[in-house]
Amino acid sequence: MTVVRTDEDRGLALCADAEGARHAVETALVEPLAAGRVVLVHAGVAIASLAGEVAP
Amino acid sequence: MKFVDEFRDAALGRAVAGEILSLVEPGRHYKVMEVCGGHTHSIYKYGVDDLLPANVELVHGPGCPVCVIPMGRVDDGIAIAKVPGVIFTCFGDMMRVPGSGGSLLDAKAAGADVRMVYSPLDALRIAKQNPDKQVVFFAIGFETTAPSTALTLKRARAEGVKNFSCICSHVTIVPPLRALLESPDLRLDGFIGPGHVSTVVGARPFEFIPDDYRKPVVVAGFEPLDILQAIAMILRQLAEGRCEVENQYKRVVPYEGNLRALEVLAEVFELRPHFEWRGLGFISHSGLKLSEAYADLDAELRFSVPGVRVADPKACQCGEVLKGVIKPWECKVFGTACTPERPIGTCMVSSEGACAAYYNFGRFAREREVV
Repeated sequence: MTVVRTDEDRGLALCADAEGARHAVETALVEPLAAGRVVLVHAGVAIASLAGEVAP
Repeated sequence: MKFVDEFRDAALGRAVAGEILSLVEPGRHYKVMEVCGGHTHSIYKYGVDDLLPANVELVHGPGCPVCVIPMGRVDDGIAIAKVPGVIFTCFGDMMRVPGSGGSLLDAKAAGADVRMVYSPLDALRIAKQNPDKQVVFFAIGFETTAPSTALTLKRARAEGVKNFSCICSHVTIVPPLRALLESPDLRLDGFIGPGHVSTVVGARPFEFIPDDYRKPVVVAGFEPLDILQAIAMILRQLAEGRCEVENQYKRVVPYEGNLRALEVLAEVFELRPHFEWRGLGFISHSGLKLSEAYADLDAELRFSVPGVRVADPKACQCGEVLKGVIKPWECKVFGTACTPERPIGTCMVSSEGACAAYYNFGRFAREREVV
């Protein structure tokens, strides 16, 4: 999923999946995120943040 | 689609398939186990096996979270779901897994308040919206999913949510692999390591496979080119007489794993002395339970559960499928009495189950013809 915007106070990010659907994602387990970053999300939690132009 | 198409490129796929062909030794039969159900799904969805030489056989492993849950655990969940005032939550696949007296979906049809959630965090939200109900989450999955449950329990604690608890059936990947390697039923040449579990635990925990059993492991991604490349890397190790852990999925998997996730897991969970796996029996230190510090959120302590071991139906051969001893189509009830609509065994329930993958991607007819 791609990060759309972050809410650091609540530890959440709004992310868009491949179809464009948006999900609130818990971000406590990855480094601070910025919009545009690609994250691997499992059961509502980002478990990896991807560097560079690569596919989850 | 960006980030996806380049890993599904047909020309590149054919090139890697050619490389695989050049690496196999004529007359030798190779058995490579893909540990993760996500790989099994991708292999049949994209026809990866059709690109392999006949002497490279893919064997499906035990890494499907729903498939390995034994019937007794489903019965425990249903017993809690039937308690008046309980909202029972679980992932969608789990609702259809048969227990000894039906599934959670059957319990819902009979009046129990069973709800499907996408994340345990959704279950926590339901608890906050229903303070007069007890909300229980049926936690299943390997180390990929366990951090999500752990974070949810930490949030429940931090926010003082008292009406939330969790029946923990999380499992760990290394003990069943060791059990398989010790099994006399199976001779394997190498392993495609589980990509998403490795995102959390890293590639290092698989070092025992080359160290103790002299087999190569390649941790791989889930796109067709990822899987083909991993097979080529395993075959290259074998051709060169090497056996080590290699990481094909470096774009996602750090060799040391996700240290923050591992910390959270260590805080919230502890290993059970033993845990029952469907088809594999009891395996020591293979399941997680809530640690002492989180025991007040443990549904197994908050409610009374039968905790009885229930044998699989006699006709069901999920155990042999999960161990890679037989192919799904070799099971007597595959595609006849057992289908994704009316599953007898767990491997037909989840999209990551080997039986469902065979059935859904049309392997039924083709493999039957081979027989």
